[in-house]
Amino acid sequence: MIEASPASVDTREKLSAANVSVYYGSFQAIKNASLKMAAKTVTALIGPSGCGKSTFLRALNRMHDLTPGARVEGAVMLDGQDIYAPDADPVIIRHRIGMVFQRPNPFPKTIFENVAYGPKIHGERDRQRLATIVETSLRQAALWDEVKDRLNRSALDLSGGQQQRMCIARVLAVEPEVILMDEPASALDPIATSKIEDLIGELKQDYTVVIVTHSMQQAARISEYTAFFHLGEIVEIGTTTNIFTRPREKRTEDYITGRFG
Amino acid sequence: MASAVPAARRLASDAAGNRGRHLTDAVATVILWLMAVSIILMLIAFIAYLFYLGFGSLSWQFLTGPPSQQAGGGIGPEIYNSFYILVLTLAFTVPISLAAGIYLQEYARPGLFRSVVQFSAESLATVPSIVMGLFGLLIFVFYFHWGFTALGGALTMTLLNLPALMRVTQEALASVPDSLREASVGLGATKWQTVVRTVLPSAIGRLTTGVVLIAGRIFGETAALIFTAGLSVSANHPYELNPFRSAETLAIHLWYTHSESVIPDVDRVGNGSALVLLIMVLAFNIAARVVGAALTKRFTGRSS
Repeated sequence: MIEASPASVDTREKLSAANVSVYYGSFQAIKNASLKMAAKTVTALIGPSGCGKSTFLRALNRMHDLTPGARVEGAVMLDGQDIYAPDADPVIIRHRIGMVFQRPNPFPKTIFENVAYGPKIHGERDRQRLATIVETSLRQAALWDEVKDRLNRSALDLSGGQQQRMCIARVLAVEPEVILMDEPASALDPIATSKIEDLIGELKQDYTVVIVTHSMQQAARISEYTAFFHLGEIVEIGTTTNIFTRPREKRTEDYITGRFG
Repeated sequence: MASAVPAARRLASDAAGNRGRHLTDAVATVILWLMAVSIILMLIAFIAYLFYLGFGSLSWQFLTGPPSQQAGGGIGPEIYNSFYILVLTLAFTVPISLAAGIYLQEYARPGLFRSVVQFSAESLATVPSIVMGLFGLLIFVFYFHWGFTALGGALTMTLLNLPALMRVTQEALASVPDSLREASVGLGATKWQTVVRTVLPSAIGRLTTGVVLIAGRIFGETAALIFTAGLSVSANHPYELNPFRSAETLAIHLWYTHSESVIPDVDRVGNGSALVLLIMVLAFNIAARVVGAALTKRFTGRSS
């Protein structure tokens, strides 16, 4: 349901979910959700706690493969190819569709080793090139100036906000095309949150971003498109402006005006 | 008028009930403290008594010299054999239990196969060491016609210690938060890359602690070795490398001198052996903590 948008925004369809259902055992957590996510834009997934927005996000790069008992039906197309096709390799999919998690999850290693982790597992061994990738990624994540003198210190010594930006740099280092973010600022203070939001604004120049957020203000500030989830279904999809000013569905209106949630 | 204002409730204890509750609390604190302290006291008393009995036996000659049927024998080859069998046992036990533990914790989905492996390991863990020793006697000594050998002893010890070390591996891996696995897999790592680059380095401290603690147990084990590694040191050379020769360990020597042998200075040899054995096992326990903490710091960049 992507609507007309300013000419500067590329609306090519990068990622699209068609009739996606997610089951945990016999419980159906997501019911036939379909959503198109345009290239180089930010799509926000909003909705009350337990509505399934995080579950849906994790279906977009096959993270449910890790959860025993979880099952995904439907199709998720990346540039027109189904990531759930039998011959699709989850390792390649997650290389192209990166993920930033709700709580910063740095590896218990140095800052350098954290950011170099992705390139290394994908076969980069050259020390010089790794150093370049680490610097570029940390600069992109607006963290370089804060950590350039202590790349060999443990990432666990960073503050929560710095850890989360390092986790974003770690994802950027593998050069994904899509970045999924699962409430990336929910464990952070307001200053760290605004830094993450500024960063997302920068990232959409080059990447397709899909972000789950609990905060409607955040969705309004950073996203072009918004999908409203309720009880495992996508209730409404539209430009963020329309969702917040002229919602078509009563449930959407009730949620954004604070009548439930 | 005054009766309309309720009297302020007093903050001090009154005689009625609070004194009694406080007394119970104080008595409980003292009793619990005494129990905890008694554990330290028992250990100190035990060590002190062994030092008192055995310290006089210690000498360079005693620690390095060969045992003898006459007075004046040493325990050098026995100490050597204890380490020999320890290393040989760990060489079998560590790879197998590490692999099995990694498989069960990281790869196997809940289901029949995992339950069967888990149940088998738990059953194996409950077999008394003397039964394991007799099993080793039947298999390695008689069926394979090896006789009493260091190798037979080490293989029997492997059976005895596999389940414990597999358990240690599983618990060490389980202590690694799933968020780290997700981070690794989310970057496009395979399961193997995730295990080798993230999970094992994060668990290395606990793994090492577990291995060294089990090494201490192997060092002190007797029942499984009496019928498999034998009661004598090698006839050819006291410090032989060949695994196909009998290999009496220090713990067995202690048992043997007191129950079977007819040497005249049995108390001197026995007390000295017991002291050396105790020091060794304590050293393993201390080493487990020190090395585990150091490795955790080295691989994770923080102390824990």
